[in-house]
Amino acid sequence: MSKPQGSNVKERAKSALKDEFLIDAVKFTTEKLKNGKKAATEEHGNWEEWRERGRLIRAHTISHLDYYLSKFIENARAQGVHVHFAPEAKDAARIAIEIAKHRGAKSVVKSKSMVSEEVHINEAFEELGIESIESDLGEYIIQLANEPPSHIIIPAIHKNRYQIADLLSKEAGETLPPETKILAGFARRKLRDKFLEADIGLTGCNFGIAETGSVVIFENEGNARMVSTVPKTQITLMGMERLIPSWDDLEVMATLLPRSATGQKLTVYMSGITGPRREHDGDGPEEMHIIIVDNGRSLQLGDPEFQELLNCIRCGACLNACPVYRHIGGHSYPGTYSGPIGAVLTPALNKNTQEWHDVANASSLCGACYEACPVKIPLHDMLVYLRNRKVERGYTASGEKMAMKGFKMLMGSHKLFRKAVKAGQIGQKLLVRDGYIRSQIGPLKGWTAYRHIPALPKRSFREQWPGLSAEIEKSIQPMSGEMELRMEEIVQARRKGGGHA
Amino acid sequence: MSKSDPEFLSKLSRESQAAEKLFIGNIATRLGRSAISPAPEHPFRGAPEFWTSYELGREEQIARFMGNWQAAGGFTERLATMSDLPGVIARILREQNAGSMIRQNLTELEQLGLEEQLPELRHAAWDGLDAEDSLRTAEQADAGIVLADFAVAYTGSIVVTSSTDKGRSVSLLPNILIAVIPADRMHTRLGEVMSRIASVPGEQFPAGVHFISGPSRSSDIENDLTIGVHGPGVAFALIVG
Ligand code: SF4
Repeated sequence: MSKPQGSNVKERAKSALKDEFLIDAVKFTTEKLKNGKKAATEEHGNWEEWRERGRLIRAHTISHLDYYLSKFIENARAQGVHVHFAPEAKDAARIAIEIAKHRGAKSVVKSKSMVSEEVHINEAFEELGIESIESDLGEYIIQLANEPPSHIIIPAIHKNRYQIADLLSKEAGETLPPETKILAGFARRKLRDKFLEADIGLTGCNFGIAETGSVVIFENEGNARMVSTVPKTQITLMGMERLIPSWDDLEVMATLLPRSATGQKLTVYMSGITGPRREHDGDGPEEMHIIIVDNGRSLQLGDPEFQELLNCIRCGACLNACPVYRHIGGHSYPGTYSGPIGAVLTPALNKNTQEWHDVANASSLCGACYEACPVKIPLHDMLVYLRNRKVERGYTASGEKMAMKGFKMLMGSHKLFRKAVKAGQIGQKLLVRDGYIRSQIGPLKGWTAYRHIPALPKRSFREQWPGLSAEIEKSIQPMSGEMELRMEEIVQARRKGGGHA
Repeated sequence: MSKSDPEFLSKLSRESQAAEKLFIGNIATRLGRSAISPAPEHPFRGAPEFWTSYELGREEQIARFMGNWQAAGGFTERLATMSDLPGVIARILREQNAGSMIRQNLTELEQLGLEEQLPELRHAAWDGLDAEDSLRTAEQADAGIVLADFAVAYTGSIVVTSSTDKGRSVSLLPNILIAVIPADRMHTRLGEVMSRIASVPGEQFPAGVHFISGPSRSSDIENDLTIGVHGPGVAFALIVG
């Protein structure tokens, strides 16, 4: 898949920022999603109580994951599901391929699944000559463009209608006008045939319900319903942490997820699929497989600093809230997941300490991600842990070590932080050579908000900097007392050498 | 070939049992346990307490449901009795220029006598025993008519479950969806429906439980809302009673 060129976040962001539309589209859409969430949560009311309940349910499930996962497996099997285990990404692909080969499958039709991106399932099928088609409109578009998704909820957030018209016109063999209705209509017709032909339907899974062994999928288009209704065989890829204990708990997730993702009260479709079709049902898969994927998730278990990562319900709210994501877009992050959750999850899943350096810095520590998160994952704390671990393990320039020492002072004072940002702004001007930021000197080296502003070509830098810096400053909210306290605790714990490797 | 051969499946099953031990064992170990945790207390189950006492009266429920369904881009009508249904459905299907329809194979829907009301239409009822034919008919039908198992006022959702007589395709493949909702199947909160679903015993548990909250939609092209992407683009909710 082609991503913007460049080996680290800074370079990728640089290339991403050259695409003017990307900047506008990402800002426009994230703003809209953010406002939608705000309106929906205010209308619903008592949001903090709901968040806390969501956090408790997820935290409880994860801390008894061995029990709930076993229950889920037992109940799914009782309904006739074939359950498989993939400790690593490659195992998931291997199992899916084994099933597809045995079924003599020629084509697979897919609904949205971030796990399938993790395990590169399309590539695996295609190597065997099995056609694998994305059916979510956004996923279909980026599949035609041969790009990975740049947002968890809106995968083609970075494409405008002209680019989409070009991509679909190639598929259609005729020129389609850049009109949403017509483009969507073409995709509907084209994909309808694919649904009817496909041998295998491949889905993701938002939640697995332990008490009944059900797979729950949230969506708006109806493509996941198609994928789980028409093909004779269904394969569901499920991250091992996707569980909730009961249908009662689903009410809480259904209250939190759509509102946080798009501001909807509920997605148009929420489907609970429990085993293959019953004996005399006329539709639904005759055979159903669930592949449960670890791929680095279990490494977070028992790690007090990162276990909460597994509570994530993949709503994308932290992306929409993040001033850095809004500026550089999803392709600037390495790996499948972008934004604040991606910045922490990617290195955590990979246990790749060197990469931590790169992605952990791609955020501003402003705490907006935590405020946005419907299950209260302290992503900004985790970013601090990541930076600290990196410092401890010596994967960092000495400047960063100094920056970490200055952390407490700066973080303790919002005013100081803002000042520092301003200082950074002045500092950066000195650094632009040949149109790019060459090296970083100055007071905020390593980890401040400004660091994440990618280096830009000279002209564009000069043009954009005033706007960028104003926007970022605006986005930096004063820290809440609670958050400040936690930051303080982290620093104290670190001083005492209380690390968990 | 509709199912994999038993030998292949039993090989997968053996592999699965072996892998499960390691997989779950690893989780337990990481969580600091030597064996799988016994059934834990779950004190946070379901919605917060203040919410479980939230109740709307029947009229409020219906008004809320209709408001939500319309806001999602759907159409609603309120009817006094089931005997008003045939006329209303006939009018809708004519207005929508439907040439064919498929309905769930339920007595309540059969008794509407739509065949007599609309002799010019092709009529079909879902038949799980004739799977291929039913699927083809649903794929070609202009309209699908379902009787909702439940409805939820607060989210503006109907719930349909699958069975031999109630194909999932009926509410999915045709471009027009007509959902009949007897008023006494309306509830205020999602949770009320969740607990009813969860209480169905395993042997009777439906393979598909679908919450539907309006017409199919997408915002994937420049965040511009498009209605009717893969599922029905026209969605009527007819509340009876
Ligand atoms: S970390 Fe929180 S806000 Fe971000 S995607 Fe996960 S659940 Fe949503």
